[in-house]
Amino acid sequence: MDSENLKVKSTRRRELPPLPQTSRGRTLPSLASQDTVDEVPRSRRKKAKKDPDGTEDMEDTGMEMGGVASRRQSVSQTPLTPEPQEVPAARKKKKKKQQTLDLEGDQAGLVNGDAADAAEQTTDAEEAPRKSRKKKKPKVVETPYVNDLDVEEDDIISDAQSPIPQHSLFSAPTGQSQPVGKMFVEHGRRFQAADRIDKRMASDQLDTNFMDIQSMWTTRDVSLKVHSGYRVIGLFAHGFLAGYAAWNVIVIYVLSGEQFSTLNNLLQQYHSLAYPSQSLLYLLLALSTVSAFDRLNLAKATIAMRSLLMLEPAALASLLYFAALVLTLSQQMTSDRINLYPSSNSTLWPPGSEHTTLYPWIGVNLAVTLMVGLAWALISTGPETDYTEEFLLSMEVEYPKPPQKADMPV
Amino acid sequence: MLQANNFSVVLLIQLTLLTFDLFVNSFSELLRSSPVIQLVLFIIQDISLLFNQFIFLLMLFNTYVFQVGLMSLLLERFRALIMLSMLYLLFSISLHCWMMSLRWMKSDHFVWTNGLLVLFTLQRTAAVLYYYLYKRTAECLGDPRLYKDSPWLREAFERSRQL
Repeated sequence: MDSENLKVKSTRRRELPPLPQTSRGRTLPSLASQDTVDEVPRSRRKKAKKDPDGTEDMEDTGMEMGGVASRRQSVSQTPLTPEPQEVPAARKKKKKKQQTLDLEGDQAGLVNGDAADAAEQTTDAEEAPRKSRKKKKPKVVETPYVNDLDVEEDDIISDAQSPIPQHSLFSAPTGQSQPVGKMFVEHGRRFQAADRIDKRMASDQLDTNFMDIQSMWTTRDVSLKVHSGYRVIGLFAHGFLAGYAAWNVIVIYVLSGEQFSTLNNLLQQYHSLAYPSQSLLYLLLALSTVSAFDRLNLAKATIAMRSLLMLEPAALASLLYFAALVLTLSQQMTSDRINLYPSSNSTLWPPGSEHTTLYPWIGVNLAVTLMVGLAWALISTGPETDYTEEFLLSMEVEYPKPPQKADMPV
Repeated sequence: MLQANNFSVVLLIQLTLLTFDLFVNSFSELLRSSPVIQLVLFIIQDISLLFNQFIFLLMLFNTYVFQVGLMSLLLERFRALIMLSMLYLLFSISLHCWMMSLRWMKSDHFVWTNGLLVLFTLQRTAAVLYYYLYKRTAECLGDPRLYKDSPWLREAFERSRQL
């Protein structure tokens, strides 16, 4: 028996096929067919017991390669004399072999063609009752490796390793980590430990709070809020400046009299208002100019120039406000002179100098009034135009995604 | 990542300093009865101007772009404000020094000259441009992309490495 086993084993070793080729179109045999394949070696072993000499060759053709047949014949004709020392080793190896028989059977079933099918069909009828008694063989994963090295099934890795995920250049490397009982949740600047069970229960609330997440403020929202708030201030400044400039020039012309005949009256009545008026005018012009620049998005010079060439209202208003600002600042010295009319009457206002000093001042004030009035009208035609707001809205914001259930750690 | 609350506080401080600067520029000439008042106002204005610059630089250093090493990207984006703020600071200090030197002995006298008027006009005009650019920059620093990794940042990083 042992010699027969040795024979079987030796023949088995030589009969192991190389890498299976699917040119014949054979598929993996099912469990049932595996059982029949497994039963074939046992039946052969039994037959080998009965016919140790030659007939096993006929059975082995279903299992072996064609080129090995001659060698097998020589082996069968010269039976090996088993040595007593080799018996226990053979038995141990036999046990290992039995584990790999399934594997070999599958490989053999792949490699050998119709002969194996015929052998299976003949043995199916005989071995069908034995199927129920047979233990369910574990599904053996076929490997493309040649099993010359007595590799055990446990050492065979069937699943390919998952590729190492590519992580971003700046983010921390991702990898499998051991799960811990606690989670660390960020609250403000600190991390607080929390049980995973609690978080899992709270995950149901996250779905309902998802809409609340989008209502959370971001830095972009703060910027937009500040910008819209200043736009309201700017709108008020535009209107107030236009009205105040109009009132100012009307007062100047009324106090000056017809054809500027009563300039001394103007100086006497207006000297206390000149410097505060100048200061207020600068304040309103600064606010209005910044607001007009915001609407134009002056920082984008190319877009601003294109808007100006296209004679867009926001661009024209910005230009008018800036020109009015420069003209108003240029009259600072004259305004201070008017302010100091009572105290420095003889030095600052020699007789006959009122016309030469006040004509330009009145003219500039009139020009400033017309400019700011026209700019206010231009802005009123397109009050919703705001290129800076569009630029701020283009800042991307990623809202935190709700954790999916599949991603929740177990 | 910059939090909205922190950003709101910083923005509030910046706008407060800007508002103070605007009011000093507008009404400091009305408070010249005593030269000390104007001197104190000018000193506070210049210090607030410097403080505003420090806050702006700190906001830049707080960005992820700066921490990665792409300082040139930030400087290119905000170079207008950086240059104008330095120019405005120069004009302000020059005008304040000149004005105080003229008004220290005679506060309520006429001290204007053509040169002083030109410098005064330049300083007030630069102030308006400074207010606009600083407000816009402060709002742009609320861009969330400056505080996190993103594809455009990686592309910029690769380009800088190739250079």
